[in-house]
Amino acid sequence: MMFPPGARSRLLPMSLPFRFFGAAVVFQLAAWGVLFAFPSELISFEGGLGPVFAALHLVTLGVLAMTAVGATLQLLPVATRQPVRSLGAAKLVWWLLVPGVAVFAGGAAAYAPGTMGIGAMLTVLALAIYAVLLAANLRGARGMKGVVAHGWAALACLALLAATGLALAARFEHGFALDHAAFRAAHLVLATYGFMGLLAIGLSNFLLPMLAVAPTPPAPIAYAVLITAIAGIAAALLGYALAAALLGLAAAVVHTVALERALRARLRPALGTGFPLVRVSWICLVASLAMALAMALEIAPPRALLLFGLLLVPGWLLTFLLGVLQRIVPFLASVHGSTASRGTPLISALTPGPLLAAHQVLHVAAVAALLIAALLGEPWLVRAGAAAGLAGAVVFAAFFSFVLVKVRQHGIQPPHQPATA
Amino acid sequence: MEFNRHISRRLHEEHDATLTLWGRVESTLVAGKSDPALLKSAAASLSHELDVHFEFEEKELFPRLAAAGEADIGELLAEEHAAIRAAGRSFIELVRSDPDAAQLRPLALELAERLFSHVQKEEMSLLPMLEDLVDEEADGELTAAYTS
Repeated sequence: MMFPPGARSRLLPMSLPFRFFGAAVVFQLAAWGVLFAFPSELISFEGGLGPVFAALHLVTLGVLAMTAVGATLQLLPVATRQPVRSLGAAKLVWWLLVPGVAVFAGGAAAYAPGTMGIGAMLTVLALAIYAVLLAANLRGARGMKGVVAHGWAALACLALLAATGLALAARFEHGFALDHAAFRAAHLVLATYGFMGLLAIGLSNFLLPMLAVAPTPPAPIAYAVLITAIAGIAAALLGYALAAALLGLAAAVVHTVALERALRARLRPALGTGFPLVRVSWICLVASLAMALAMALEIAPPRALLLFGLLLVPGWLLTFLLGVLQRIVPFLASVHGSTASRGTPLISALTPGPLLAAHQVLHVAAVAALLIAALLGEPWLVRAGAAAGLAGAVVFAAFFSFVLVKVRQHGIQPPHQPATA
Repeated sequence: MEFNRHISRRLHEEHDATLTLWGRVESTLVAGKSDPALLKSAAASLSHELDVHFEFEEKELFPRLAAAGEADIGELLAEEHAAIRAAGRSFIELVRSDPDAAQLRPLALELAERLFSHVQKEEMSLLPMLEDLVDEEADGELTAAYTS
């Protein structure tokens, strides 16, 4: 039978998670487009308003947070055995977050703090509603205690992230006196290693083994990683850069090694699409913390802060998220496309291999070009990297559209190659 | 994931065996190799899966999910059972009657994919739910019913 929307209590209507993924697809295009249009601004970027600031937040809020909200709304109920408390509230998050990010980024790009402030308020409101939904889910959670613990830690970071974000927006708009550098650093750490990072690490321990048909990493290791990561984040917030980098590096290395060991014990030989990007993202995660360590020891190369930011945001978080989306978009579409009369769509029929391979090459080329551009201080390389990133984002949008069309048509043929999930 | 109920552990062990066997089938066929003995073994295993494992889940477990307000997951898994059954019966018949048939390879690959995806979902949703829904007494009854 075909279920009416909402009938499957823990399987949300397809339109709910996919509206967040769709918005992320559009914001990724916008982020690369802005960077392509203003390449020289990246080389001299020091954190102020302007196109690079806008592009950064199009990625962090528009792509990373947007996808995190959509993915956790669908995946956490499965992990925690708790339904989403209110579909209406989940939809409202999208209706506030999408215009919020667009207005915030537009205001930032136009050096208009007043406009940016409106976007910030909408965004914070959206994330506050999401935080309530997340907290309600985590509070009633059964099972997957490690994932739940990561969820609570991420939620705490989200609360602090929103507070520091509002403080920074108020400073831009009203000139409030605050230690700008300290708040900005705290905001960066809370957004990346905190909210997004802890969610990514927690869900990785459950999702990646599931996708690869592998055992999960041992719970004591997952908890050790979490505690070490929280200690590192706390050290960074208190200004202990060296301790923060060392703790973060230890957590990152143990996390990636534990997952690699789990993946090696998988029962299905082929890892399939998405995992090359996940592995690149892990390299960037460790490299970002190595760069942070070099900065703390004052042995970093010129433009180290820019290199650090590139390794952290497009290198680790964006690459990881795109790799995971390559897998979970067809997987979730297959689940939602299942009907008694027409059967379950094959995931392989929703996975356009050549398109995803092209996306991987273009995205990795984009990140590599940006890193080299930052090392050499060459704006033309930034433009080349942004062009590759934009092309990758177009290909990714084509992949997303392909899945939507296919699941609507649901005209599935038996595969001639093994599927990826 | 660690399972405390006997019935969850039993089903989990069968899932592992299924994944290991069909992982071999998939990698053998993708490598372009032919292994009639392996396909025969896969057909025999699949026959048990369809007649015993699936039947048990549909008669004993999915109704319990529905009674606990989790009908959606049971119905999704039942839809997948139907798709696997249809492809599985054709595969078993072909292995028996015409093991050199050209359509055997794509059929086996389709089955491998469907089984992997299905087991993933059962491991992620069905077995953890059983841990909540089944008490010690019911666990004993279900395990006895499954192994009898």
